[in-house]
Amino acid sequence: MGETMLVALLLLAGIPDWAPARWASADPQSLELLEGTPVNCLLLEPASWSAEFAARAAARGVATLGVVRPAGNPLEAARRAVRHGLGGVVLEGEFDPGLAEGIRRLLAAEKRVAVELPPRRLMRLNGSVPVVGTCQGLWAGIQVVEGGAVKARPTGGPWIDTNSGFLRFVKAATDAPIWLGHLPPAKTVLPVERYLHAISDAAMLGARWIVALDEDFSRRLLAREERALADWRRIGAHLAFYQQHQEWRALKPFSRLAVVEDAAGTGLLSRGILDMFGGRNIPVRPVPVAALSAAALKGARMAVAVDATALTEAQREALQAVARAGGTLLTGPPGWKFSPPKGDQITLGSGELERITDVWQGINSVVGRGNFGARLFNVSGLLSSLLGDAEGGRIVLHLVNYTDYAVESVTVHLAGAYQRARLYAPERPPRDLELYPVEGRRAVDIDRVGICAVLVID
Amino acid sequence: MTRRELLAVLGTAPGWDRPSAGRAVAPVAIARARSYDDGLEGVLGTLFDQLGGLGRLVRGKTVTIKLNLTGSPGLRFQGRPVGVTHYTHPKVVGVVAHLLGRAGARRIRFVESCWGTGGPLEEYLLEAGWNVRALATAAPNVEFENTNSLGRGKRYARLKVPGGGRVYPAYDLNRAYEATDVFVSLAKLKEHGTCGVTLALKNVFGITPASIYGDDAGRDEPNENPTKGRQAILHEGRRQPSASAPQELDPASRREAGYRVPRIVAELAAARPIKLAIIDGVETVAGGEGPWLEGLRLVQPGLLIAGTNPVSTDAVATAAMGYDPSAGRGQAPFRECDNTLKLAEALGVGSADLGRLEVRGLSLKQARYPFAS
Repeated sequence: MGETMLVALLLLAGIPDWAPARWASADPQSLELLEGTPVNCLLLEPASWSAEFAARAAARGVATLGVVRPAGNPLEAARRAVRHGLGGVVLEGEFDPGLAEGIRRLLAAEKRVAVELPPRRLMRLNGSVPVVGTCQGLWAGIQVVEGGAVKARPTGGPWIDTNSGFLRFVKAATDAPIWLGHLPPAKTVLPVERYLHAISDAAMLGARWIVALDEDFSRRLLAREERALADWRRIGAHLAFYQQHQEWRALKPFSRLAVVEDAAGTGLLSRGILDMFGGRNIPVRPVPVAALSAAALKGARMAVAVDATALTEAQREALQAVARAGGTLLTGPPGWKFSPPKGDQITLGSGELERITDVWQGINSVVGRGNFGARLFNVSGLLSSLLGDAEGGRIVLHLVNYTDYAVESVTVHLAGAYQRARLYAPERPPRDLELYPVEGRRAVDIDRVGICAVLVID
Repeated sequence: MTRRELLAVLGTAPGWDRPSAGRAVAPVAIARARSYDDGLEGVLGTLFDQLGGLGRLVRGKTVTIKLNLTGSPGLRFQGRPVGVTHYTHPKVVGVVAHLLGRAGARRIRFVESCWGTGGPLEEYLLEAGWNVRALATAAPNVEFENTNSLGRGKRYARLKVPGGGRVYPAYDLNRAYEATDVFVSLAKLKEHGTCGVTLALKNVFGITPASIYGDDAGRDEPNENPTKGRQAILHEGRRQPSASAPQELDPASRREAGYRVPRIVAELAAARPIKLAIIDGVETVAGGEGPWLEGLRLVQPGLLIAGTNPVSTDAVATAAMGYDPSAGRGQAPFRECDNTLKLAEALGVGSADLGRLEVRGLSLKQARYPFAS
């Protein structure tokens, strides 16, 4: 086995720990910028493919992947990536299935990695790929409408563009590492906080946003401008925060409220029902239709199945069992069916949004003040993600603050007799927080949330 | 029966057109507080002492404090904590509770008709980022009641408007407004899109339960799970309150918020007299009452104002904001509405005549902080 092949195999084994970033340089000296950051996988455009760079990167334990797109001759491009000694390729975009299979075979024969970043609707959730990825995502942040005003959601808080609803579904559907490959908005110079939001927006569901700097930032960083270096160090520290806690990535969405969704329906779309729950910071446990069973609904006190047309008789029975056990079952009006996502669609269409908003009003009133794992207070401008093991013995609550201010005085009411709460935040030592009783439950106060914080509760 | 109710029955209660000239006018005190960390306990203690002290007012009594928590706590202006923009600040609330407790109040009950919910006030306060645990221990026997619905009570209290009212003859309210000895309006120093200013008087608009006066109030009976605001009934008069409550006296009267709301506020202040008015103007917003209005801006008047009469207190506060509290409709700040202060004055609630008012502490000249941009 040649040295390159050995390196490639070692890299394959390390995929779950890859922290990817798009890199706009073939200069081996630029690799020094990775020092002190967990970035260990670089996505390179063809213009930056170089055997020397790949070798120097491999020597530092950094994987290199060539970005291949459908235009031109992708198979030849993949061969060229191999010839340059890259560890593999990233197939970004929608490929002809036969062609994609050919590239996969080529790379497998060369013992190289093929990471696929297709449109969301073509994501492969069946466990057949080393990374479940997509090139499509929303640029996370508070939605600002014309004139700089903040668009409010019906509950009064600001509407936050997020991938977290969609990622909640994907996380429930797969155990593979999840990568989001969307880019920052074009021709926009962004404050570093927006990158931190993008990282946390994915990381709160155990996913990774492939770091992609805007053109100006990238240029200044490669030129080693002081401000750019300081921002890059912040990004590195933020990535390191999540990288140091691999155990969080393995956890699944935890809630006593199960939401049945289908990849062929709205599961892979944003701004749907999972984001509506997310906007109210109500933890939900998505249950992909393919996995819907009595076991998947274990412990659920409420089940929501808006589009129940695709269910088998056994699956309907499993849902009915929730109601028979004293829980609540909410379904959409008879005959409702959502059309599969089309083309580049990643958000709910306006017609479907209207339909689902009607149903949401009903769901919202039934959910009311229910506590399905955790109830959060004073979280306007924040989104959260509650993860846990199946029994909920240990739960992990991610908080991401999308505002320009630190949010103070967040209160969490927990639906369990927990004994210990510990708060983690980037660049701050962990702190134990006091758990106190409230109405027979436990509660905890968090004094301050900067960009993000993670509460681990046992 | 109270004296006011007795007068109402006898037909001798002050009416809309009967000014209260000649009565003794309660003093109003103004204090400077540059921030919410600026020795609030001492500042407020002095303020209340200038009014004759809290002890004589609250010792051994149940004190009900109406907070100003307008709009959803999730709706923030520029992402700031609501206490420094359009809500009463929790530190002012905590210190007031502490001082009331120290002055011998038997029970302190915080009340507000929380926007869009009949859930517990404590949870609403948590949504606003308040430390409810600290507030609950600021004084002995602290209670919380969301008065947007029946709450902990078994029936609504019917509070009659002295003189019979012009819009409604009486209002059905959460029982907390009846079962109290001392009613405190703890307001914020703000302008208001509908009423020109929102101070101690306008704060009582929020005592009306959405279960009866809300946009989703029940037709016949109250809706004990209200989820909406109070536009259709009280602001616009597009429908009547739940049939269980007193109905409008003249459904043919003007359907205009600038006409209706000031009158309703004046009626409420007459029906549920305010014994202590406190206005938090340390940090606030100018340009309107909440972030749903365009043109809002952060301001720091650095003022705390208090008085035992809400009309007088509001008159002084309005003047401190740079406005003439006796201005008529069409003049700032009452550009598109009637003057609530004058309407309340006409109902005998108090005097808005600056020339008759005694200001203690800071002078009005020292306190002046023009809100107009």
